[in-house]
Amino acid sequence: MRALARLLKRLLEVITIGLLMTLACVVISAVVARKGFNSSFVWYDEVASVLLAWITFYGAAYAALRRRHLGFEGLIIACPPPVRLTLFIISEVVVYAVFVVFAYAGWFILQVLGSETLVSLRWVPLWFTQSVVPVGAALFIVAQILSTPDTVRRLMAGRSAEDEEIAEEIAKAEAQKERR
Amino acid sequence: MEALLLVLLLAALISINVPIAVSIAAVALFGVWLDKGVFGFYDAALKVFDAATNFPLIAIPLFILAGALMNTGGISRRLIDFTSALIGFIRGGLAMVNVGVSLFFAEISGSAVADVAAIGSVIIPEMKRKKYRPTFAAAVTSSSASLAIIIPPSIPMIVYGALSDTSIVQLFVAGIVPGLLGGFLMLCLCYWFAVRYDLPREEAFSLPRLGKAFMDAAPALLLPIIILGGIFGGIVTATEGAGLAVIAALVIGGFWYREIKLREFHEALLEGVTQTAAVMLLVATSGVLGLYLTEIEIPQRFAQWIISVSDNRIVVLMMLNVMLLVLGMVLHGAAAIILIVPIVLPLVRELQIDPVQFGIILTLNIAIGQQTPPVASVLATACSISRTDIWATTRTNIPFIILLFALLLVVTYIPIVPMGLVEWIYR
Repeated sequence: MRALARLLKRLLEVITIGLLMTLACVVISAVVARKGFNSSFVWYDEVASVLLAWITFYGAAYAALRRRHLGFEGLIIACPPPVRLTLFIISEVVVYAVFVVFAYAGWFILQVLGSETLVSLRWVPLWFTQSVVPVGAALFIVAQILSTPDTVRRLMAGRSAEDEEIAEEIAKAEAQKERR
Repeated sequence: MEALLLVLLLAALISINVPIAVSIAAVALFGVWLDKGVFGFYDAALKVFDAATNFPLIAIPLFILAGALMNTGGISRRLIDFTSALIGFIRGGLAMVNVGVSLFFAEISGSAVADVAAIGSVIIPEMKRKKYRPTFAAAVTSSSASLAIIIPPSIPMIVYGALSDTSIVQLFVAGIVPGLLGGFLMLCLCYWFAVRYDLPREEAFSLPRLGKAFMDAAPALLLPIIILGGIFGGIVTATEGAGLAVIAALVIGGFWYREIKLREFHEALLEGVTQTAAVMLLVATSGVLGLYLTEIEIPQRFAQWIISVSDNRIVVLMMLNVMLLVLGMVLHGAAAIILIVPIVLPLVRELQIDPVQFGIILTLNIAIGQQTPPVASVLATACSISRTDIWATTRTNIPFIILLFALLLVVTYIPIVPMGLVEWIYR
């Protein structure tokens, strides 16, 4: 399970960083074109917006794998371990339910979209741009499953995700300081 | 009744640690299912994508990318050296350097925790070595980092601007005077602490040292001038300004200083992607909730209810401030903004409160919320670095919280403070 989690993490890292770099290049080239050559790309707004949505959903799966979505752990950490575990299971079921609905409804929408395309780029079908909803939702579920064992261990030890994030960031900053 | 049930369901889900974005989605999906059955789910799937394509929000990942380049390209370090040479000679100078640097850098990478970790791990140990009290070191770092939320470029402001259809550029401009005023007051407070507790000076003032630090930092100092000058001068939009920031940070860090370290840059990027996605998933799912709330007219009913209590702007603003402060205490900044904006906006419009001014009020409330446990990740990070207890630090932090609160009252009731520059430049 750990190996699978690492593989998915690597894959999502490549996808999300690739999307972020592409978005940066699109925006920068649009600025250069507008300011330097007084011309604008008709597809700029639409493509940049779609890239943002893709970063959102692939990045959301990545953040789920790292259990870094904003939440409030204070209460369940304060509960005794058996209650903590029960509440954890309920919360996981809610997460799965939400993303199963998004995956199903998102997939259904793709078939309805048929041959529609982006307004500015006629060769890019909408089913392709919108595919990120079902794919992202499915990846979110997989990420949630793969990160479950570590999360259970952490919660049962009474450590919150925020404690872990803070410790991780401080360790990173200390390491950077030492390299200098 | 239905609305109350939904609020309770949302609160219950958040309290058992369902991620806030997913809690919002769960409530929204339940609502649309009650309303339209399974067809509601199809609307929700379309809306969740649509809400994530909100164009002005593109500035978020770009500013985060620029921040990562600045932090790993030696730009941040040179600005710290310059600030130290400039004000380090004053009594309590290191605390003041901390305020100056935090105001500039915190919030730059989009992760308040990562920024406070980066700044704090350099300055807090140094302050402790110079016999500053650890709780004071943590309090100064934490509260000045939180004030940075109203100093451009600020990600919570971009989120507010995009969700409320308010000019992000005008929000940035409106944050300048309150931000500088707050920063100046914090410097004064540090000086007061310094005199009272006999805190040390750094090295004596030296013009050659300042000159050298200035020459070294000059290209780095150009960066905010180019970006903010471009945005405020109306040459580029906020999103384009963010793109410009990426180029400028790349050129200065990569070609001038030649210090960009790929491994650190890669780590910073992954952190940035995580932060962007966490905020954007909230935006996307709250879009679905918005769809449902509008259908059952919650924002309008909320506005009517508040106005039935009082239609006096001063009273309503006070009520909003209390509500936002409580929300900021129990929710993370971005989550609080995303949840509250669609609900209170009709009220703000009805009472003819300028949405730009309200944006500053809102973000400042969030800044104060970051200083108050239980949910106070900025404070918790600073405490963790200084190895101090969060409650002991909060006691030392009280004067700083009072200062932020006073600033909030000024921004709320003396509109010219945030709006003067905006009126002068744009209206």
